[in-house]
Amino acid sequence: MLVFRSEAHVKRWLAGRPGGATIPITKLADLATAWWSDRLDPDWQPHAREQNQAILDRLGLVGDFWRLG
Amino acid sequence: MSPSDVVIRNATYAAFVDLGRAPGTHEVAERLGVATTDVLAAWRRLHEGHALVLDDNGAILMANPFSAIETPHRVEAAGRTWFANCGWDAFGIGAALGVDCSIHTTCPDCSERVDIEVRGGRPLDESPVFHVLVPAREWWTDIRFT
Repeated sequence: MLVFRSEAHVKRWLAGRPGGATIPITKLADLATAWWSDRLDPDWQPHAREQNQAILDRLGLVGDFWRLG
Repeated sequence: MSPSDVVIRNATYAAFVDLGRAPGTHEVAERLGVATTDVLAAWRRLHEGHALVLDDNGAILMANPFSAIETPHRVEAAGRTWFANCGWDAFGIGAALGVDCSIHTTCPDCSERVDIEVRGGRPLDESPVFHVLVPAREWWTDIRFT
């Protein structure tokens, strides 16, 4: 899970190997907020897989690659 | 995950933030008035439940998004420097702390620095991209690689 300077850098780094998914850094920021913002809450409770999947779905991260299980 | 394990997990995270580093079992035990063996047993269950990651010696390696060890993903937030486990976690540290942050990492392709200021949850430089190599269902198969 890595940050690259641009999509061209991802492509060059992969060097023809099969890649995964590339998303804009703004989408990553939204994902991080949704995924991690409750992590230090005193009353934190574990996320169910369905909750985490709903976060991905809500951000448009859909399809087989983004299925948690 | 039992309620008592959640209490130990939450105390572990609170200690990580207060100390600015991963706590030892004794530091969490003192906070809660429990035995260190109880903390370690809970940590092992939390590790199995993917709520944190231990190293081979039973010490905390990851309390996601925080890393207990130095990584290429450095975050300045809340007046401290933290290490994140990956690019996603780097953004997660600011989100978890609820503060603006500065992320410093390197592009795996060209090894150039990538510095990102995050204000109000938004990156000021929107030109970088994020690549996830491993499909979601395999993230925990080898979390250190992921």
